[in-house]
Amino acid sequence: MNNWTGASGPQGDADPSPYDPELGSLPNGAQGDEHGDTVNKTGTTTIGITTDDGVVIATDMRASLGGRFVSNKDVQKVEQIHPTGALTLVGSVGGAQSFIRTLRSEVNLYESRRGETMPIEALATLAGNFARGGPFRAINPILGGVDSEGSHVYSIDPAGGVMADDYTVTGSGMQLAYGLLEQEYEEGLSLDEAQSVAARAIKSAVERDTGSGNGVFLAEVTEEGVDIQGHNDFDAVI
Amino acid sequence: MQGQSQQQAYDRGITIFSPDGRLYQVEYAREAVKRGTASVGLRTPDGVVLAANRQVSSPLMERSSVEKIHKADEHIGVASAGHVADARQLVDLARRRAQGEQLRYGQQIGVETLTRAVTDHIQEYTQTGGARPFGVALLVGGIEDGEPKLFETDPSGTDYEWKAAAIGGDRDVIQGYLEENYREDLDVDGGLELAVSALSEPEDEVVAAEDVDVATITTEDESFQSVDDDRLESIIAEIETETEESDE
Repeated sequence: MNNWTGASGPQGDADPSPYDPELGSLPNGAQGDEHGDTVNKTGTTTIGITTDDGVVIATDMRASLGGRFVSNKDVQKVEQIHPTGALTLVGSVGGAQSFIRTLRSEVNLYESRRGETMPIEALATLAGNFARGGPFRAINPILGGVDSEGSHVYSIDPAGGVMADDYTVTGSGMQLAYGLLEQEYEEGLSLDEAQSVAARAIKSAVERDTGSGNGVFLAEVTEEGVDIQGHNDFDAVI
Repeated sequence: MQGQSQQQAYDRGITIFSPDGRLYQVEYAREAVKRGTASVGLRTPDGVVLAANRQVSSPLMERSSVEKIHKADEHIGVASAGHVADARQLVDLARRRAQGEQLRYGQQIGVETLTRAVTDHIQEYTQTGGARPFGVALLVGGIEDGEPKLFETDPSGTDYEWKAAAIGGDRDVIQGYLEENYREDLDVDGGLELAVSALSEPEDEVVAAEDVDVATITTEDESFQSVDDDRLESIIAEIETETEESDE
């Protein structure tokens, strides 16, 4: 896949390439793009907002086939991948799930070898490398996490671009959600306020984007860990 | 005949255990380290000091071609003792791993993580058929999370963390000197003085500036810096004055 020549031992085994996962191998890179409409896609709206006390991540709950048929009405599209970090599933479900499993194992290996958890910036770089590497091409997740440097939100694009921001949105409903966020987001939001803003932004998208719908999952990421709750009804969280 | 060749087999070729549980090839590799000139490393609250003895065998040799201290990455230096060629291989591994960390995680590698990568590599050469262990010990020093760190690697692939350590010839004498004179509150200048004094301990007089290679990595700039001859001369002059005073 690439020309990385890591150190090789007497038996010729090389260090893992920075662009490849250490465990398991990359599936065929072209796969993600070509299946098109037949792949289960999360049409999706996912949001990440940083606050001083932590990160709020919100996602809708719909999986669809090409945005035309609702294939699942109760999908959890935000998963914990780090003791204080979570990632959203956007794009191909298979690609995103495999991406999450791979990153979890990398986070666990890093921690057990070094006795400290992976910094979120390192996790973002690694996630960008893997996305760039090919097999997870049809994904566009948000990574949110907390470490000794504070709260972080990154969007990771299908070509491996990694961009940090105070708040960010990905998915088919992104314009709708951004519309609300540009009015409602301000610096110094509390965690609870950020949750409410995020839930309202998801609601805007759910009402008008056919690829998003069926409720909201909210993840709260703080120094203490990751707390994920699903809500079919928006009233409780707005 | 049979009995003798079997006995000899424990210290030939591949590294295998002797009946009393020893790995002769690894022990011979440690002897190779002792035949090298000494290197010293120590950490102070403000930074790490690495110093190496690099006496040349002939006045016709270019001193700069004797490399005992290497920059592994911006914030990490390596001092070696033993086979220089073996050291270069390990230093190059360390350099590649340090850059690999930047590629993979976008971050500077930690001193301990880098040392582990090197010792993992060394260990493989104690357990592989046809391989020869590395005849070199290293001192890996640098800054990690703003803290000075110093590690040693040995030919078995074990890593140790130190406040101050010596490797190579006359190790015991130099280590004894360090144990007697090391203080936790040294500044970098004090550390430089102690390192050069320690290297001089086996001889009657203080080493000449051209016979040592010295580098620092301070917490202030987290950057590997060679100590130039002018500064070395003044450190050596300082040591000589102090010894004269204590002699009087």
